[in-house]
Amino acid sequence: MTKTNLFSKIKNFIHSDAFIFLLPAIILIIVFYLIPIVVSVYMSFTPLKNWNIARYIHEFVGFENYWRFLYMVTHDPTVRPIFITTVVFILITLAINVLGGLGLAIATFFMGEREASSTQLLWLLPRMTPIAVYSMIWYYFFHGSEIGTLNSILMSLGIIHNPIDWGQSIIPWGPWMIIIFVNGLVGVSYGMIVFTSAISNIPKELVIAARVDGASNWSITKNILIPLLKWHIVYVTTWQMLSLLTTYDHIFLLVEWGLVNRYYGTTWALYIYNMAFTAAEKDLGLAAATGVILVIVGAILGLLALKILGFEKMVKEPRGDI
Amino acid sequence: MKYYRALSKTAGIVIAIIIIIGIVAGAYYYISQQQITTTKLITFVPLTGDFNKDIINIGKALEQDGIKTVQLSVWSGGDPNSVMRIYGVVEAAYRINNIWKQNNINVEIKVTTRYVSNPNDVYEDYINKWSLGQAPDIMANGYTYIASLASEGYILDLTPYLNNYTSFLNQFYPTLLDAMRWNGKIYGIPQDTEARPLYIRKDVAACAGLDLTGLVEKIENGQFTWSDLYRWALKVKESGCAPWGLIHRKGSAHPDLIQFIYAFGGKLYDEKTGKLVFDKAAVYKWFVVEKTFADHGLLPHDMMSWDWAKQIHPTVVDGKTLSFIGGTWHWFEWQTKAYYTDPKTGQQRPLTAEEVHKFFYYTLFPSGIKGKPGLTLSQPFAWMINSKAGEQNPNYDKLKDLYHELVFLVVVKASDPDIVAIHSLISGHLPVTKTAAELIKNQTWVNELKNLKVKLAPEVLNNIKNIIEKTVNPLNVQFLANVTYMLEYTTFTPKHPQYPKLASLFAEALDQVLRDKMTPAQAVNYIVEKINADPDLKKSVEIIGEIPQNWIFP
Repeated sequence: MTKTNLFSKIKNFIHSDAFIFLLPAIILIIVFYLIPIVVSVYMSFTPLKNWNIARYIHEFVGFENYWRFLYMVTHDPTVRPIFITTVVFILITLAINVLGGLGLAIATFFMGEREASSTQLLWLLPRMTPIAVYSMIWYYFFHGSEIGTLNSILMSLGIIHNPIDWGQSIIPWGPWMIIIFVNGLVGVSYGMIVFTSAISNIPKELVIAARVDGASNWSITKNILIPLLKWHIVYVTTWQMLSLLTTYDHIFLLVEWGLVNRYYGTTWALYIYNMAFTAAEKDLGLAAATGVILVIVGAILGLLALKILGFEKMVKEPRGDI
Repeated sequence: MKYYRALSKTAGIVIAIIIIIGIVAGAYYYISQQQITTTKLITFVPLTGDFNKDIINIGKALEQDGIKTVQLSVWSGGDPNSVMRIYGVVEAAYRINNIWKQNNINVEIKVTTRYVSNPNDVYEDYINKWSLGQAPDIMANGYTYIASLASEGYILDLTPYLNNYTSFLNQFYPTLLDAMRWNGKIYGIPQDTEARPLYIRKDVAACAGLDLTGLVEKIENGQFTWSDLYRWALKVKESGCAPWGLIHRKGSAHPDLIQFIYAFGGKLYDEKTGKLVFDKAAVYKWFVVEKTFADHGLLPHDMMSWDWAKQIHPTVVDGKTLSFIGGTWHWFEWQTKAYYTDPKTGQQRPLTAEEVHKFFYYTLFPSGIKGKPGLTLSQPFAWMINSKAGEQNPNYDKLKDLYHELVFLVVVKASDPDIVAIHSLISGHLPVTKTAAELIKNQTWVNELKNLKVKLAPEVLNNIKNIIEKTVNPLNVQFLANVTYMLEYTTFTPKHPQYPKLASLFAEALDQVLRDKMTPAQAVNYIVEKINADPDLKKSVEIIGEIPQNWIFP
């Protein structure tokens, strides 16, 4: 492509209606995504610490922070549990989010309107509840002493005699169970909304015809709903995976309040947050380098997910012979 | 499409006109300001060491520079009774404003304050907001932060100012001034200090038949050590007198638990190399002691995540433990906060001074080695001045030095003997100046304070009168006098930018030991691994000693 061609294409795009429609989104992406990425990449090549921007911002240390990250990965005994936790957390929570959301959307599809609305509202509660309040509910539920709701129920039923410190004593599955459960409940509602909306757009004739032919709910689900939701399943899976890779808010509170083990309750995103904001020395250069690597991993995983789930095939233009 | 082109032309013309007008107006304002400032501004006043003379000269200079109001902010944190860490500055500003008024100087200092329960949060916010110009002008915080703040250039080097104020400086105890130094320069003015006594419940000890007579002396000369305290705690537990033998702080090992390292003859800093020291043997012994207590049900396994207000203080004041590693300020905090459950009413309320005196025996932190004296640890608080102090005020770029001088003098005023003495009497911290220590002994003045007859800014008096009413009494004055001897046995934590990082490793490792996730030896090795995994820390820490193979406790 020649320079003139490129410029004229850009010029045409700028003068097109598509540009006007895309402009708000483009501005948001530039301001909240591209600029922070550029700043993060730049920060990762500086020795920036303790937010002393004026002092460190012009110092260039090359790949020093990336080297330090690799050094910590290979030497720091707490980094390995954090990475294992991240993998386990993403895989299981993702499965819960996608399958749970899909299951709920399909289940409410077969319910009466009122029951469906109540069920959906119930599952939206975790997302509507402020993060601190929601986390506190589960903090007290899983609390390791007798004041914990779960312990108190199990003790009153005579199943256990002494309280169990779920997040601290059953390592690693205790803390994993808690962070997966707490995040899983929040994430399910997102899939549910997307899938419910998608199901409502499936032509009713297909379902009515199947019903007339005597198809069961399961058969309708398997042969009509799920095949028509493929696009949405790919979207929710990819989106939720990337979202889980970078989420830390609920987990941060649960770790901070001592409910879950510091290492088997910390994910990569939280590790970066702590490095930049809560560590005794705020090592922002190192945190930025670690964040840049996380973005690269996220991008690779996102592309892989789209590839594996057949995204390309789905967006191919129709051949015109349908 | 035509519509967009037409719109962009009009918009372009309007934007161009606005930009041109803006540039012209800005340039005009800048030039006019330059003309005013170059001809009239007084940017600096030589300090003489005579406070009144200096503050009047600065007031006149500010007035001449067209400044009518100087906005200052102060942040601090700590226990609820230590609010003079912010109101000391409010009071100082009030006194300076009065001096200016009396001398017909039409300038006023206005102070905004922020006080939180955790001083570390204040430090973190200070760091996060400094580059944004939103950090406070003055911060009262632990002296251990001086190293990291000074190394980043976040706080003002006070040495040039103090060179003119030697008589002011001489009021402070020399050890406290040493704590304010970093790389040979003074970066803080002592605000308070304290001792960390080991509190022992007299009623619990009596219940288990333990004789407290002469315990202070026995700990002072090393006859009574942690092994003895362990045996006492076991006796208390076995006799059912209290569920716990020992309770201590949560969350962080710094500074209370660092005493264990010194108690076992360890060190944390090497003066010769300027490096931090990780003493494997001493830390191992500390962890073994705590683990032994925890394994026998004498110390909670989840001690490091207990809640201060809901668990730690109620356990101590309700007599559910034999001993508590606390601080002098707790003696006063228990009298103002409702931690105690009254056995008659079942309601929570503060203890009275008489009850605190009746329940608690206090002594030095025992040694871990027979024959070695007990100890305590002080973490003096310091007034630190932002290196951009006064930034939110007019003409900062030109009047920077003048603002810095003013803020320095505000801190000098906040160190007035009565302000220091009031802070001590209501918070249980020890006075940092000899003049304040003398004032506390003055019964007439103490009575005036108790009857709220001292002269204070109305805002300050309103905010502390409830605390004064509950805490200023002869028993507490006596307590302060009694614990002052502990300063002879005091130790400090290092001033090193990497120390907070090392201290946080101690807390993590100890938590794992108490929860039985690591043995003491594994915890020591874990810290070594963590030090070696961090290139900055590795450079700054010297690892010494070995884990003792045949050491047993008690």
